[in-house]
Amino acid sequence: MSSDFYKTSILPFAGIIIKLCRAYTNSQEDFDDYYQEVCLQIWRSKDNFREESQWSTWVYRISLNVCLTLLKKNKKKDQYFVSDSLPIEETEENYAFSNEALNLLYDAIRKLSEIDRAIIMLYLEEKSQKEIAEIIGTNPNNIGVRVKRIKIRLKKILDGKIN
Amino acid sequence: MEKSIENIWKEGFLKSDALVAPKINNLYNQKSIHVIDKFKSMFKINLIAIIAFSFIFLIISFFAGIPITGVIFFVTLAVLVFINKKLLNNLAKIDLGASSYQYLKAFNQWKNKQIAINIKISRFLYPIIFLSMILGFWFKDAEGMPLGERLVNEVLKGFPDIYLIYGIPVVGIVIALLILVLLAFFGDRIYKWDLNIVYGRVFKKLEELMTDIENLRS
Repeated sequence: MSSDFYKTSILPFAGIIIKLCRAYTNSQEDFDDYYQEVCLQIWRSKDNFREESQWSTWVYRISLNVCLTLLKKNKKKDQYFVSDSLPIEETEENYAFSNEALNLLYDAIRKLSEIDRAIIMLYLEEKSQKEIAEIIGTNPNNIGVRVKRIKIRLKKILDGKIN
Repeated sequence: MEKSIENIWKEGFLKSDALVAPKINNLYNQKSIHVIDKFKSMFKINLIAIIAFSFIFLIISFFAGIPITGVIFFVTLAVLVFINKKLLNNLAKIDLGASSYQYLKAFNQWKNKQIAINIKISRFLYPIIFLSMILGFWFKDAEGMPLGERLVNEVLKGFPDIYLIYGIPVVGIVIALLILVLLAFFGDRIYKWDLNIVYGRVFKKLEELMTDIENLRS
């Protein structure tokens, strides 16, 4: 892969890939592998991009489809994510809280089914029901109901953790 | 105040370094862990191994005096490779940029087609291999006469009343037929067992994903 392609076509959308990959992995090592694989598959599939959708939507699709069908076994017990936990002396109160909350939210998201994870990630990225339905390939009418259910489930998981 | 998940999400990414991309080096040369790439590489390795094995066996069979076995082996495995090569070409057509449903459906369809074809092949493959070995050794030269005939002559010395069809003991025909039927019957199971060891987890995951999306579509 040319570094130009990575810099111009992938790196500006790295946020999308990072957010999705993190929802499908339990450890930093798996996350790095997933991220690399998504970048590799975006590069390999770039000639299939027909500009029928935005590049960012297309990156979502590839990232999601790759995450759904990767072969690597998740390592559940070792090397948990630590990237959001800065050393205590470097954190401010709010900073630490928001990171911890994000970690808890991710933990809760990982407890969902793989399709539900995809739906809630797209919802949190402020994609419309129509866009979510297009990316996943389903009926937009059912997305709203499913999002409500997922949010209730996430809230229960988060309440259980916080309390 | 209790935060909504939307706020946790937004603030989490605003205030933290959670969106720093990991460093990637020499990406293209790294080993792919994607299921389609794995299938492609597994298929390619298998096909090359089959071609190499059938060719080496063909040469050995001529030296070993069982060319019939070698030729049948070679032709059968060549057909197997040809069919699977065609299947492999279809795998490359799956569009990763399609919607998840279309993508998973296309991959699932390819997988089912590939399994169905190879199950049919394996029902014939193992019996043909067994038959080729019988024929090869039957017609192998044994001091001026086929080994099979020599063997029957030896058997007839011990059991002169044995019933023959076209010069072959009925017991031998029955046993050979029984083995052929068993191989045909268990051929698909052997193939499925083999496939399940390598890809069982992925196939199960794929089925679950498909069921989930289809429920969402209905």
